[in-house]
Amino acid sequence: MGRLASFVVFTLAYALVLEAMLAPAILFWPEFSANLDSIRAMARNVPILGQEMIGRIEDEGFPAYVLAQHFFKGANALGTAAAILFAAPAVAGEAHRGTLELWLAQPRSRARLLLERWSAGALAVTLPVFLTTLTIPLLAARVGELESHGPYLACAAHQALFLLALYAVTFLGSCLSSNPNRLALVALFLAVLQFALYMVKTVTHFSLFRLCDMEVLMALAEGRWSVPIVLTLAATVGLSLLASLLAFRRRCP
Amino acid sequence: MSAGTIRIDGLTRRFGAHVAVKPFQLALGPGGIIGLLGPNGSGKSTLLRMLLGLVPPDAGRAEVDGVALAGDGVAIRRRTSYLPGELHLYGELSGRAHLAWCLRGRGASALKRAHELAAGFELPLARRVRGYSHGMKRQLLLAAALAPEVRVRVLDEPTEGLDPTRRAQVLELLRADAARGTTLLVSSHHLGEVERATTRQLFLRQGELLDEESARDLYRRARESLRVAWDTAPERALLERAVAGVPGAELYLAEGRATFFFRAGGGLTALRALLAASGLPEPRALTYGELSLAEVYRELYGVEGV
Repeated sequence: MGRLASFVVFTLAYALVLEAMLAPAILFWPEFSANLDSIRAMARNVPILGQEMIGRIEDEGFPAYVLAQHFFKGANALGTAAAILFAAPAVAGEAHRGTLELWLAQPRSRARLLLERWSAGALAVTLPVFLTTLTIPLLAARVGELESHGPYLACAAHQALFLLALYAVTFLGSCLSSNPNRLALVALFLAVLQFALYMVKTVTHFSLFRLCDMEVLMALAEGRWSVPIVLTLAATVGLSLLASLLAFRRRCP
Repeated sequence: MSAGTIRIDGLTRRFGAHVAVKPFQLALGPGGIIGLLGPNGSGKSTLLRMLLGLVPPDAGRAEVDGVALAGDGVAIRRRTSYLPGELHLYGELSGRAHLAWCLRGRGASALKRAHELAAGFELPLARRVRGYSHGMKRQLLLAAALAPEVRVRVLDEPTEGLDPTRRAQVLELLRADAARGTTLLVSSHHLGEVERATTRQLFLRQGELLDEESARDLYRRARESLRVAWDTAPERALLERAVAGVPGAELYLAEGRATFFFRAGGGLTALRALLAASGLPEPRALTYGELSLAEVYRELYGVEGV
């Protein structure tokens, strides 16, 4: 029970921080929209993609602002970190602290043990994205914007799939590793590198974050799903989970 | 009936070039306490882990409590309980939460029994496990391993790190469990205890099971051994001369002591020869027929840790 409780606490903390990033951003919307000219002028000094984002918010208004704040900035940054930090110690952490044998000795199949842990982590990574997204219409009403849940939940579903893919790949690494700290550091470094690549227009297409950026999210909000991207992410999740099951099956204490 | 039995047929496991367990055939149980003995690195833990599906074998077959070792061994783990040799626990959990975690899927009666055992060990279940001593951690895992109603238990070093009183208590629990018909496969470094508690002993050396004759030979040697201790051991040639007329004498010389193994009756002859021999210093201590298996094993194989 103690392990479950600590897991729930971490998940709640992640959700609260996500909400703490979202709520002030939405409540700041009136000031932001009133000062768009000044912000555009300031954006001359930020990377080209930052300027494009400002332009999109100028064109699309509040929905684009929320997508940028909650999904592209909030969930992509915090969610990626959460996905890595939940996945890295899942199996490697047990090996590192020496409790792997105790875990494997339980009268449950390896597949069940792994799926229990994988599912708990997946839920912890994705559920806060949905929960915080549900608060968007409520917060929007506070600043005079009438928004419905539908488009945002579609974006949340896509964001969750993207984070799940990152989680699943890191989880596979955890099944193969005995050093969760090194794994987490490497994964975080790669994530930051990918985010940096995204911000540079000439190499932005090499970034994984293209799979969940403003362009994709705006299309989703308008009801246009990118089937190749969704299939790619779903296949990454599925194949990583399958590989994790195979690796875990041969894992020795 | 195969209930409560353990059958091993050619189980083999390699780690790189090192063969941790070499193939052999063995049938154990039903019932009784079987001691699995051997020095560190002899393959004891690997063998136990293979039986439970924790380490997949490279070859061979096994059957525990009538169930064949297949897949990840979950069918066997459901019918057995296991005490790991290495003491790594979830320090952030309380003893109570740890027991509940260890006994997931075992039912409420197993948890109740574990609490009773923990109470018998006087464990503070409300305290976090990170505050437990080495011995308390062992007892917590023992409570979890002895609680489920199963016909076979696999216990890796059940008394390691326990004080003499607790050791006696644990051995008594094992005997009571065996008396109910449970088969206990127990690996231990404490051969003296194993001698007292077990109904059968298996010896592993470099992954190989010593045959029963070799095992019986160890006992015979233990009963007929003579150990003479000096402040400074005499030269080997001097000792060999002293027992030259004693048939079948084997001499193992270590710093400050000599150990002789003889055929039946030869010990007393050798003792007389040693006492009569000129040039030998006066012994500090004499031990006849009382060497432990651990000492015999150490003299014969030159290894510690048994």
